[in-house]
Amino acid sequence: MEYKNPHIPENINTSKEHPLKDFSILLIGSIVLLLIGTVTLAFGGGWLASKIPFSAEIKIANMYDLSDDTDDDSAPELTAYLQSLTDKISEAQKLPDGMKVTAHYLDDNTVNAFATIGGHIFMYRGLLEKLPNENTLVTLLSHEIAHVKYRHPIKSLGSGIIVSIGIAALTGGTDSNIMGETGMLTVLKFGRDMEQQSDEAAAQTLYALYGHLNGGAELFEIFHNMREEMGAGESYEMFSTHPLDEDRIENFSTIAKIEGWEEIGELTPLPDFYRSALKSRDRAHQKLSAGTK
Amino acid sequence: MYELILTVVLVSLGYIFGRRAESKHYKSIIMREKEMNTLPAMASRRPPSDGHYDQALVSGSVVIANDYFKSFVAGLRNLFGGQMRSYETLLDRARREAVLRMKQEAKTLGAEAIFNVKYETSNISGQTRKKMPVIEVHAYGTALTKYGI
Repeated sequence: MEYKNPHIPENINTSKEHPLKDFSILLIGSIVLLLIGTVTLAFGGGWLASKIPFSAEIKIANMYDLSDDTDDDSAPELTAYLQSLTDKISEAQKLPDGMKVTAHYLDDNTVNAFATIGGHIFMYRGLLEKLPNENTLVTLLSHEIAHVKYRHPIKSLGSGIIVSIGIAALTGGTDSNIMGETGMLTVLKFGRDMEQQSDEAAAQTLYALYGHLNGGAELFEIFHNMREEMGAGESYEMFSTHPLDEDRIENFSTIAKIEGWEEIGELTPLPDFYRSALKSRDRAHQKLSAGTK
Repeated sequence: MYELILTVVLVSLGYIFGRRAESKHYKSIIMREKEMNTLPAMASRRPPSDGHYDQALVSGSVVIANDYFKSFVAGLRNLFGGQMRSYETLLDRARREAVLRMKQEAKTLGAEAIFNVKYETSNISGQTRKKMPVIEVHAYGTALTKYGI
């Protein structure tokens, strides 16, 4: 008997297909899936979080230790002034029962202000210094209070947490510190639609309190000038969460035109102690500022 | 961002070098298979009955490592399921190389054929969480060497 091994043709046990074909199909497929998944999770998380009652949101906010970060007692008059304006605006915006907004003053050069969970809004000295009159300050406060009113901080936190849980589940990471990472003073990212909603509410409040919109658009001009000063220019609209400054200024005018509200009117000056309170910076010790947190 | 760049670099390096190594290996396998074809390897357990043979255990084993590109594709494939084509060539090469090494051993014994050929495959990548597949394929059989009547 004769034994022989026949010649076996290639590519029976292996695929003739180019490996890059398989690779690109899989890669595109998984990126698409990942995007759909992230969007769904973010949307679902935001939706679920918006169902959290405000009283529970306050409890969540209380989990963070505020004492270290906030409320410069160097300017009690200023803080009281900000709070009184906040209360006035809260009334004008008809905040739901039990929703109390607390204004905080942060002695830091950052040109920014933000709202976070538990109805806390934070104003940096850097931005307050640049405000020319009370109308602009009210616009700024109204914008941040509107974020609280529409539950933007908890929605944003909710989406953030759900998305990070999703990523952790996918990558098998054991990130047990999801809540801790997103601290109280973390500037939450709001979507462009959220910013626009708040801008509109700010315009309404400004009209309700002063009877005209003068001074409102100046807030966005401040941001615009600041960006130009920094030389950063405006980032491309698609990648920016805030609408372009020009668009926001224009948006203000559009609202005025649609509603028939005056864009000119008498500006209310800031109180006398305002500038001096901002200048009193000789504190015994530097408080922890948001940037280092 | 840094991690993304690192992954892209690793995947491209894995692709370039893995593909080069693979085509080189295949060329060498095909060439040596032709040479070794004079020495048949049979799965049959029954040795030929016409004559007297010395029997000896011969074996060939090969350890083959994966490249980053292949593991990356396999990782993606894990999400969707289906044929893991990227590993097919890896195992195919390993099996054929193991048989070739076994035949080489049998040839030095002056064998005429190898019977009862079997394969063993094992994963030796260890217990680490992010393991790169490293496999060992072991082929063994009974080499038959004819001796005078």
